[in-house]
Amino acid sequence: MFEESKVAFFLAKRSILRGNKGTLSLTILIIGMVFVNLIFLPSIITGVAVLFNQQSIDYSYGNLVIEPKKNQVYISQVSELQRKLERIPGITGVSPRYLTSATISYKGNVVTPVLYAINPRDEQAVLRIATKVSSGSYLADGDTGQVVLGSRLAGNEDEKLDVVPSLGGVSVGRVVEISFNNGVTRQYRVKGIVTSNSFSVDSNAFITKKEYEDVFGLEDMANQVLVRTIETGKENEMRNTLLSFGVQEKIWTWQEKSANFLNQIIGSFNIINFIGTAVSLVIAIVVIFIVIFINTVYRRKQIGILKAIGIDRSIIIKSYLFQALFIFAIGTLMGGIFLLLILQLLAANPIVFPGGPVAPVVDLPLIVRSTMSLFIVSLIAGYVPAWITTREDILSAIRG
Amino acid sequence: MIIGRDLTRIYGMGAVKVRALNGVSVKIQKGDFVGIMGPSGSGKSTLLHMFGLLDRPTSGTILIDGVDAGTLDERARTQFRLRRLGYVFQDYALVPELTAKENVYLPSMARGMTAQECTLACSEILTLFGLGNRIHHLPGEMSGGEQQRVAIARALVNRPTLLLADEPCANLDSQNSKIILDLFQRLNRDLHQTIVMVSHEEWHKKYFDRIISMKDGVIEEEVNRSEGGELTPSP
Ligand SMILES: Nc1ncnc2c1ncn2[C@@H]1O[C@H](COP(=O)(O)OP(=O)(O)OP(=O)(O)O)[C@@H](O)[C@H]1O
Ligand SMILES: [Mg+2]
Repeated sequence: MFEESKVAFFLAKRSILRGNKGTLSLTILIIGMVFVNLIFLPSIITGVAVLFNQQSIDYSYGNLVIEPKKNQVYISQVSELQRKLERIPGITGVSPRYLTSATISYKGNVVTPVLYAINPRDEQAVLRIATKVSSGSYLADGDTGQVVLGSRLAGNEDEKLDVVPSLGGVSVGRVVEISFNNGVTRQYRVKGIVTSNSFSVDSNAFITKKEYEDVFGLEDMANQVLVRTIETGKENEMRNTLLSFGVQEKIWTWQEKSANFLNQIIGSFNIINFIGTAVSLVIAIVVIFIVIFINTVYRRKQIGILKAIGIDRSIIIKSYLFQALFIFAIGTLMGGIFLLLILQLLAANPIVFPGGPVAPVVDLPLIVRSTMSLFIVSLIAGYVPAWITTREDILSAIRG
Repeated sequence: MIIGRDLTRIYGMGAVKVRALNGVSVKIQKGDFVGIMGPSGSGKSTLLHMFGLLDRPTSGTILIDGVDAGTLDERARTQFRLRRLGYVFQDYALVPELTAKENVYLPSMARGMTAQECTLACSEILTLFGLGNRIHHLPGEMSGGEQQRVAIARALVNRPTLLLADEPCANLDSQNSKIILDLFQRLNRDLHQTIVMVSHEEWHKKYFDRIISMKDGVIEEEVNRSEGGELTPSP
């Protein structure tokens, strides 16, 4: 067995050293590119998923979302709940909020976004919206008669620049009119505009919880309580902790809250990725197959001679397998180097998605999976043509 | 040593059948230098292919060293060729990507000899064949005579019990042919190498101990060299 491999290796080495270098280099290049393709797209997709996940946590949900018990609209005595939550170890922020839809109008533009009513200080302990104020300033505890608008909602004077229905270019200091669904209509001065690149923030509006309770005549209630924990990724354990501390309301994790949206995006990305991977692997298998096949057909006579002088067919097949593996190994290596260069380049000039710059995620399972699939593809593409050509009987091969 | 019994080889299983061998029985003794002669198309190569286990007879049996070749499977036949047979083709049939040394080296390597043993055997035999200064040349960089000597060296490197050569001098001028034939004679006389060689050159006859003449797929005549050195038909 080992002897056979030795002879096969010897033959493969000579064939590579003395064969056509041009074809070989091109083949290696193609395999290298296939390798890049196998890694790059999935790494971007994972990067986007990571980005969106972080966005969900930072701008929409925190780590956990507490909502009213079944058939109830509000969580009552929410400050008691808030105090209870704040004492639980591992929790770094608790923000009770109301959300409702309201109609905002400005100079004839009428939009109905989601209106969030928050305690600014609590909110800042959970979400990062306050760090994304692009003009004016964020709400402060106790503010009344003031509103903070998302930048897409505020919009542009030139309608063509808007991606969602907007107020047509409101700036800080202007006054907008908000009609609540209980019939109350009030005037609000625009205190600030936030640009977070998170869709749920930028197309909606924020007032203080105090203002909201004044409009609706409510006290110490909330539709939703957002909870921030020290660690991300331990949401299920934290939920159990909350339950053991006697929280009776419904508790969601941010994954559950954003599942639909994210799964849809990742789902469609994965289809694209699957097609890309399949096409790459087919290209790899076809290219290696053709190269090895042409190699063996071109060396038909030589294969006949080798068999005639007593070199076993399995040795000859193995020698072509070695050549295919050589193409695979050098191709993967080159692809790897090329990928490193791309990643370096991307680190310096990141791709910016809506939501922020995407950092490609190249993890070990991805590398192993891509390398293994390319390895198996190379084995098949080396073995099959060698097997076919070496099947020919000696005399007809030698006669040519 | 080699015993062929009632060998036939029929080409073309359809309407047109060519009986390349039509009932050939031969015996070749150890240490013989046998020439197979006859007109073109008489079945010389076909017979040699049978001896070289490169082809299977349509019917009949071949025993080499007491082994019935018909009973061997493909792998065993390959092993048999590697360890016991040396085959020299008319057109040298060297591996173009391997140097003279590597071509010779290959069969001994496949036999499992160590690199050191291989190198030693190769250099020795190539030097013996007057190719000491061609060791690192590729076949394309050598003359026909040199290539054929490399091919013979390759056939002999595993010390085969039987050396088969199918018109090894057909592509060579008479001077180079003589070098090859003298080499064969030396191998036969000094090392008692059994050789079966196909030829249709009259002047080669003087080298052979035995001549098998073929015609239309059968043996027409067999002559042996007597003690005195003349060729006399065997009964
Ligand atoms: N592969 C083949 N298919 C069909 N017929 C064949 C094949 N090989 C040989 N023959 C026929 O078998 C017969 C014997 O061929 P063979 O090659 O043994 O002749 P030969 O004596 O070696 O002739 P030469 O001196 O020309 O080499 C010829 O008639 C040839 O045409
Ligand atoms: Mg012939």
